[in-house]
Amino acid sequence: MTTVSEPGLGALASVATAPRAKRRRKFDAFPYLLLAPAALMMVIVNLVPIVQGLRMSMLKLNQYTLSQFMDAPFIGLRNYRGVLFDPTNPVHSGMLGALRNTALYSLLVTLCAVSIGLAVALLLNRDFPGKAAARTLLMLPWVVPTYVVGTLWGFMWQRDEGIINHVLVDVLHLMDHKPFWLIGSNTFFAIVIPTVWRAWPVLMLIFLAALQAVPEELYEAARLDGANAWQRFCNITLPSLKPVIVIQVMFQIIDNIYSYNIVAMMFGKGAGYPGEWGDLLMPLLTRQSFSYWRFGEGAAVSFVMMAVMLVFVAVWMRTFRRSMTDEA
Amino acid sequence: MWVMPVTTNAQHDVPALIAPWLAQHPGVTVRVTVLDWESGWNKITAAAASRRGPDLLELGTTWMPAIAAMGGLEPLSAAQLAEIDNGAPYYAELWKTTQVFGQKGVYGLPWYADVRAAFYRTDVFRQAGVDPAQAFATWESFHAALKKINGTTVAGKRVAALAYAGKNDWNVVHNLAPWIWNAGGDVLSADAKHSALGSPQALRAIDFYSSLAVEGLVPSNALEKDSDILEGAWVGGDYGVIFSGPWLLRRIFEGPVGSVVRTHFDVAPYPAGPNGHATFFGGSNLAIFKGSRHKPEAWDLVKYLGGKASQVQLSLVSSMMPARIDAANDPAWTSRHPVYAKLTAIAADGRAYPPIPAWGPLETVYTKHLGQLAELSSGIGDPYTLPAMKALIAGTVVEADKVLEEAN
Repeated sequence: MTTVSEPGLGALASVATAPRAKRRRKFDAFPYLLLAPAALMMVIVNLVPIVQGLRMSMLKLNQYTLSQFMDAPFIGLRNYRGVLFDPTNPVHSGMLGALRNTALYSLLVTLCAVSIGLAVALLLNRDFPGKAAARTLLMLPWVVPTYVVGTLWGFMWQRDEGIINHVLVDVLHLMDHKPFWLIGSNTFFAIVIPTVWRAWPVLMLIFLAALQAVPEELYEAARLDGANAWQRFCNITLPSLKPVIVIQVMFQIIDNIYSYNIVAMMFGKGAGYPGEWGDLLMPLLTRQSFSYWRFGEGAAVSFVMMAVMLVFVAVWMRTFRRSMTDEA
Repeated sequence: MWVMPVTTNAQHDVPALIAPWLAQHPGVTVRVTVLDWESGWNKITAAAASRRGPDLLELGTTWMPAIAAMGGLEPLSAAQLAEIDNGAPYYAELWKTTQVFGQKGVYGLPWYADVRAAFYRTDVFRQAGVDPAQAFATWESFHAALKKINGTTVAGKRVAALAYAGKNDWNVVHNLAPWIWNAGGDVLSADAKHSALGSPQALRAIDFYSSLAVEGLVPSNALEKDSDILEGAWVGGDYGVIFSGPWLLRRIFEGPVGSVVRTHFDVAPYPAGPNGHATFFGGSNLAIFKGSRHKPEAWDLVKYLGGKASQVQLSLVSSMMPARIDAANDPAWTSRHPVYAKLTAIAADGRAYPPIPAWGPLETVYTKHLGQLAELSSGIGDPYTLPAMKALIAGTVVEADKVLEEAN
């Protein structure tokens, strides 16, 4: 650990700080001028919509008052009370089920995508012929836009014509009958699996980059000490990747809680309601606030979600602060 | 001018349709913008809210009251109404959709119609020994006919009796509404302030409709598909009967010349229930945008497009039915194929939803809940029972009433 109290360095520090204190008195506007355009854009792009959204969440803004827009009647926190606590409120309807599904979906997708991404990264982190081609091919699912993923998998899950049942039943004989994936509780897996399929390649790439930064000497020393592959993984690889894993898990959870496209494309031709086991928070929010034209309540739900996510990120960052730095 | 994709190439066909009018109005230029049904609603509501949009626009019949209630449309004057004989040339049910329920004022003209009918395979009925006239006479005879044709093998292909879509489809309510009307029920109370799906008549219709899937007359794999896929499968010979609209004719006649369906199909009205055999009547209207700066020219063009010759011409390129009674009976339409005249006859029993501004949100509520009937009747999970269906509808009514409460 290095501190300025160490002999020699302390003197240097005091020499360095003395003129800095004098310089501070002279205001230099140039850096602020350079930063101003970016700061202004941040205000326009982020802050203004947030403030406007906050005000919308306190307005009775529906199809009958939409033409008044921000001058619609102010109703304080009534929208928040309605969507959170009123069981007869259309926006509230089905929210508990969607919360349950979103929590399970986010956990399962994150767990699977991170695990598969890490496993494949470990496999690719060694030399073999065609490694570059394999890495490129494995990235293909991630290149497909989410709305295309939703549409394609919607066809693939069809019971009789879909390729998935054909492979499971006719080719691999893993099942004796073709199940429904788009009706009933299997709907949950019909949205989880495509999300994992698209998410893991980019995680694999990130983990692979992180693996390549782990010094080979550590593994060589461990081998000399007689550590087996599992011990090397647990004591060198995992700790080295921990900062990356912690950040990626957080990003995955946020992404999956806000997941919309795959469900919307797979089930969006009617009311956009995939059924009891397929409904997630974002499709519910879109359908039951915007399709119902309850914009004020929709804004209220958005703010509740934003607040929950901010708390989650803060707790996560605090819990894993040390893991995200080299201090771990 | 904003239009929906009324033909497969609306960007070309609509300008061609208005070309004669433009020739008579040399100083006028019309820029046609083709929206799509998915994003069109957002674009139109944004235009209505901001008062910035086209001079005239096409609106789905169920959209019009909402946009009119937002103040986005210019009401027609008494003089304009007199020019079109107060709407007498148009189907009365469609004319109703140019107004707002319980209010005075007319906001446009009906442009083209979507009328639903039973499209059936004559070869399948013949093979099963079923007389179509008898089959579509009543619910009971229809049920018996479906049982008879279900599983019939024609040209080596096993045919399922009936196809209708499940939850992932925009037609959920339109498919069910005629059965409810024909049972003597309705989708809304007479004052349009409450949902009427909980009435005994509506419940009876929903039970009958669902039982067709529960009994396997609608194969359960149809319930995971949408109307577009099912119509393709019907044209491909997978099903004996499908309820659809005039656009299916285009698909049939534009299909392969040797296709079995092309030469072995016919249309029939909905089987009569205790209250008749009404069918769903929808389509599109034309209206003048409130913010238009060229209202006289816009009205002149709307009037032209609402005229007989123009409506006949549009129906020939689009296969959608004319909204004018005289155009729908014009030989240019009725003599194309015998089924066109039959569709015109069926349209006489067409029925539109009450034109309430809240129809959009209400339809989403209905589609969401009624789509779950497919889950219930598919045989996956809990079995279909009358109490389970009634509980589902009770939940629908609560949510629908909440949406309607805000409108009143």
